[in-house]
Amino acid sequence: MTVGLALGVLLAVQFRVTREIQSTEPVQRTKELAAQVNQSKDERDALQGQVDNLRAELDKAMSLPQTAEIMEELDRARIEAGVTELTGPGVEITLNDSIVSLKPGQDPNLYVLHDEDVLRVLNELRAAGAEAISMNGQRLLATTEIRCTGPTVLLNKNKRLAPPYVITAIGNPDTLDSSLKMKGGVAETLQFWGIQVTVKKLPQVVVPPYSGGIKFEYAKAAV
Amino acid sequence: MKKSLHKTTYLSISMVAVFIGLMIAMQFRTNNSVEQAVPIDRVQELTIEKKQVERDLDQLKEESADLQIKLEEAGKSHTAATGALESELFKNKLYGGLVPVEGQGVEVLLDNQEGSFYNIKDDDLLKLLNDLRGAGAEAIAVNDQRILATSEVRLAGSHINVNLIKLSPPYKVVAIGPSGTLKSSLEIRGGLTEYLSDLGVSVTVQSKDRVLVPAYTGSLRFDYAKHTQR
Repeated sequence: MTVGLALGVLLAVQFRVTREIQSTEPVQRTKELAAQVNQSKDERDALQGQVDNLRAELDKAMSLPQTAEIMEELDRARIEAGVTELTGPGVEITLNDSIVSLKPGQDPNLYVLHDEDVLRVLNELRAAGAEAISMNGQRLLATTEIRCTGPTVLLNKNKRLAPPYVITAIGNPDTLDSSLKMKGGVAETLQFWGIQVTVKKLPQVVVPPYSGGIKFEYAKAAV
Repeated sequence: MKKSLHKTTYLSISMVAVFIGLMIAMQFRTNNSVEQAVPIDRVQELTIEKKQVERDLDQLKEESADLQIKLEEAGKSHTAATGALESELFKNKLYGGLVPVEGQGVEVLLDNQEGSFYNIKDDDLLKLLNDLRGAGAEAIAVNDQRILATSEVRLAGSHINVNLIKLSPPYKVVAIGPSGTLKSSLEIRGGLTEYLSDLGVSVTVQSKDRVLVPAYTGSLRFDYAKHTQR
C-alpha cells in the first residue's frame, strides 16, 4: 500500500512538472528569433562596411588641392565623432571580476565590477589624454552610457558586453599607463577588491568605429 | 493459500516495475525537453536586441543614402565637391560636439549646501552624466563646457576640471534629449537625485522645452590617433 501511495504522489508530481514545462517559451520560436537577430547583425555589418567604403570613396572624390584644409578639419571632426577606425599607440586594459573567494558573511557586491569603476577607469584615461577609446569593440562616443547589470555590461544603447572587459585607448602609452597605476589610483583601488586589472602598453592599437548610425532626434544645430 | 499469496505478490511487484519503468521513461523525456527549453528572459533579451539592431540598420541606411548623394554631387563639379565636403564636415562636427545645438531637455543644478560637510565630487558628476546618457541625452554641457567623447571630469582641489577648464560650484548641467525621460531617470526613487540630496547636495532638475548646449571651443589636436590606412 505504501508503495502504491508513493507511486501515486510521484505520478502526480511528474504530471504537473511536464505541464509546466510545456508552458515555457517553445524552443523553436527562440531559435527563430536568434537566427533573425544574427541575420540582422550580418546585414548591419555589411551595411557598415558599405558606409565605410562610401566614406573613403567620397574622400577621394572630394580631395582637391583647394580643399586640403577642410579635409584636415573633417579628419579631426570624424575622430571626435567616432565614425572612423583609428590606429595609433596606446594601451589595452583588461578588467575581470574578482577572484577572491568570499568568506561567509562578506558582501559579494564589493567584489564585482560596477558602473562607477568602469566610469572611473575611462575618466582617468580621458584625463590622461586618450584620443579615442573603445570597450570590447564598441567605440565610446560622447553619448555612450555604461551600465553594469549582473554579469554583463550594457553600453551604446543596450549593446551587451560579456567579461573580460577589454578597454582599448589611443594616446601616449606611458601617460595612460601611469595615470591608471599611480599610487592611490584606479588600478590600486580596484585591485584591493580583487578585481583583476592588467594594463598593457602597445605600440599600435586599433579602435573601431561606432557600429551603427548616429542620429540626433532632439538636438538641432543652433544657428 | 500460499500459492495465491505468491500470485498477488508477483502481480503487485510487476505492476510497480511497470510504473517505475514508465516514470523513468517520462522523466528522461522531460529532462531532455528541459534542456532544450529557453528561459523566458532570454527571449525578451533577443527581442530587444533585434529592435536595437533594426534601429542601427535604419540609421546606417540613412547614412549610406546621404553619402551616396554627396558622392554623386562630388562627381559633378569642383564647386559641388566643395559643397558636399562642407556638408559632410558639418554633419561630423554636429555629432562630434563642435557645433552648438538646441532642443528640449533638462537643466540640472548642483550646489554644495551651506553647513553640509560634503562637497560635490567628480564621481557625482560622472554618475549624473552617465544617467543622462542612459536616458537618451544627445548633447550635454557642464557650466558651458561641452562634454565630448574625450572629455574628462576630474576633481582638482575644490574645483572640477572639464576639458582642462576649471569649474567651480554651482554646477549647471544642461542636456538635450527626451526631457520627460531625462528628468524622471534622475528623480526615480533611489535614483541619483535622492542619493545626492541624502549626501547633502542641493539638486534641482528642471525640464525645459528649449535648452542650448554650446559647442566645444578648445583646441582639437590628435597627436596619436590616425585614421587606419587601407
